[in-house]
Amino acid sequence: MRSRTYQNSYAGLVALSNQPTAWVWAAIGILVLALMPAYFGSFGLNMLTAIFVASIGILGLNLLSGVAGQISLGHAGFLLIGAYSQAILTTDYKVPTLIAIFLSGLVAAIASLVVGIPSLRLKGLYLAITTLAFTFIVRHVVLFAEGLTRGSAGMPVDALSIFGFSFKSDVRFYYAALALLLLFIIITLNLMRSRIGRAWLALRDHDIAARAMGIDLMRYKLLAFMVSAFYTGVAGAMVALQTRFINVDTFSILISIEALAMIIVGGMGRIHGAILGTALIIFLPELLSLGFNAAGDNFKNLMADRIYEVKGLMYGVVILLFLRLEPEGMAGIWRKSKRFWVQWPLSQ
Amino acid sequence: MNYFMNLVMSGLVIGTLYGMVAMGFAIIYRATGMVNFAQGEVMMLIAYMSYTFATIPGMTFIPLLACVLTASIVLGLLIEWAFIRPMLGESMFSRVMVTIGLAVVIRSTVILIWGVDPTAFPRPFGNAVIRFGEMALYPGQIFALVSLAVLSLAMWLFFRRSRVGIAMRATSNNETIALLMGINVKRISAIAWALSAVFAAFSGLAFCLMFSLEPEISQMGLRGFPATILGGLDSVVGGAFGGLVIGVVENLAGGYLGRGLKEIAGFVLIIVVLMIKPYGLFGQREIERV
Repeated sequence: MRSRTYQNSYAGLVALSNQPTAWVWAAIGILVLALMPAYFGSFGLNMLTAIFVASIGILGLNLLSGVAGQISLGHAGFLLIGAYSQAILTTDYKVPTLIAIFLSGLVAAIASLVVGIPSLRLKGLYLAITTLAFTFIVRHVVLFAEGLTRGSAGMPVDALSIFGFSFKSDVRFYYAALALLLLFIIITLNLMRSRIGRAWLALRDHDIAARAMGIDLMRYKLLAFMVSAFYTGVAGAMVALQTRFINVDTFSILISIEALAMIIVGGMGRIHGAILGTALIIFLPELLSLGFNAAGDNFKNLMADRIYEVKGLMYGVVILLFLRLEPEGMAGIWRKSKRFWVQWPLSQ
Repeated sequence: MNYFMNLVMSGLVIGTLYGMVAMGFAIIYRATGMVNFAQGEVMMLIAYMSYTFATIPGMTFIPLLACVLTASIVLGLLIEWAFIRPMLGESMFSRVMVTIGLAVVIRSTVILIWGVDPTAFPRPFGNAVIRFGEMALYPGQIFALVSLAVLSLAMWLFFRRSRVGIAMRATSNNETIALLMGINVKRISAIAWALSAVFAAFSGLAFCLMFSLEPEISQMGLRGFPATILGGLDSVVGGAFGGLVIGVVENLAGGYLGRGLKEIAGFVLIIVVLMIKPYGLFGQREIERV
């Protein structure tokens, strides 16, 4: 039977992937995704793009919650900051769109220090509470700083263009989102195999032991929070570029809950889990509306009138079910089914 | 001066709501070490249930209070039994996530059943203003002030004098040793959830008597966090005090610095509090041993 955990050298332990076939599968996966625009219409393509964009943010949240074990309820705030930074930087300051994307991430990362420094000193759930407060503060600041953000009127956003090459059409933006997601997956993989990623795992699993090993808890928690805010800020900038118009109402507190549902469904601390979870949670309302449409007019109207509540109910139920029945999420289901077939006649 | 006094007074009244919410948070934190993010939603659910009770013909205030309290205790025990107890021994992350999941489920269900439109809640004490010299208060505001006073006194006695209260303090101090001393830790957790639902019932009723029945009640849960942090997450009576302070601060900020600041003054305050006095005014300092 194959064994993947035994390695002869240190280089083997920290390699990006511990088996050569992974590269083949990754290449096939990217090829399939690259061919998607030929088969999907505009609706399907936009949905896939939304999944890619959301996945970037979820990868960041996953680093914070799944890998470093800190709860944040304020990622809607960072998404908001990212989106508004993108809009303000490109319209008011004429920063090139591609650079603005990364600057937006940086702005979110700097904003995260405001919440991170006071709350990460303490053990326990202070971060969850202060990040929640943070979301409220950010929303109010955006609504009241009308000179900068145009208040509740919202802001139009320029399309993505790199050196004059415009990414206005759905297909082109799809490729841009895919490329950015791949970039962030590679960054995440590299973070996870380096000292930083292992320090995060250590402080999640046993903070006292981690400290005894010489890991500065406060510093690494803050780093995790900042990196996570950076990812989310970039995702926010991409959301702004995809929708081309932003408004405070797009970034409600439900987004933070939705994001947590995504990482729980996907499986905590796993990269492929984060992407699977995002895809499932984004597809779920569509499946649900298909089911409701089939169930008759009463349900169809309910879905139309109360979409916000139906979605909330669905996220809540999904969170509760996965926590009770499959705490490892989709990544766990994937691992178990793989083991089942690998060991097949002997599997239990 | 009159303007100032008015702001302080209405701040105190709003602060009673924050205080009761904060007490609900603190008692669960005290007994189980977790934060119940569904507190505001439990409050909302009980408020809507009490509306259903209150619209029964011939319902007066005392039977209404009895019905609401019974329902809230049952609800608290039910939530603890169905959602919290099965997660015992899981990581703190999963346990807190359960309450967050629960919060969305309760809020959505309540809105799907009762709708989003604000409804006038019956006023069992009438609508006449009662005057105490200079000050004028509505009956609903007096109910809120009296409830907070009674509840905080009761909690103070409960933790000092009653067997269960002392057992609860022991449990929060060290669960394993409490278990070895013959304390039924599971029962303690159930009692804490029931008590926190009772706080939710009082705050929900007070909200409805002062304003109206509306989905924004669930927001009170979030608005109560600053009070909880200010009083100290593990101090129940401190939460009541923190609530009053936050209420007054919010109102003064709104009155003197601008309307937009009213909603966020409390949140800004807790970020400052966490910087200079991390465990709140009355919270116990946790000394970490490495």
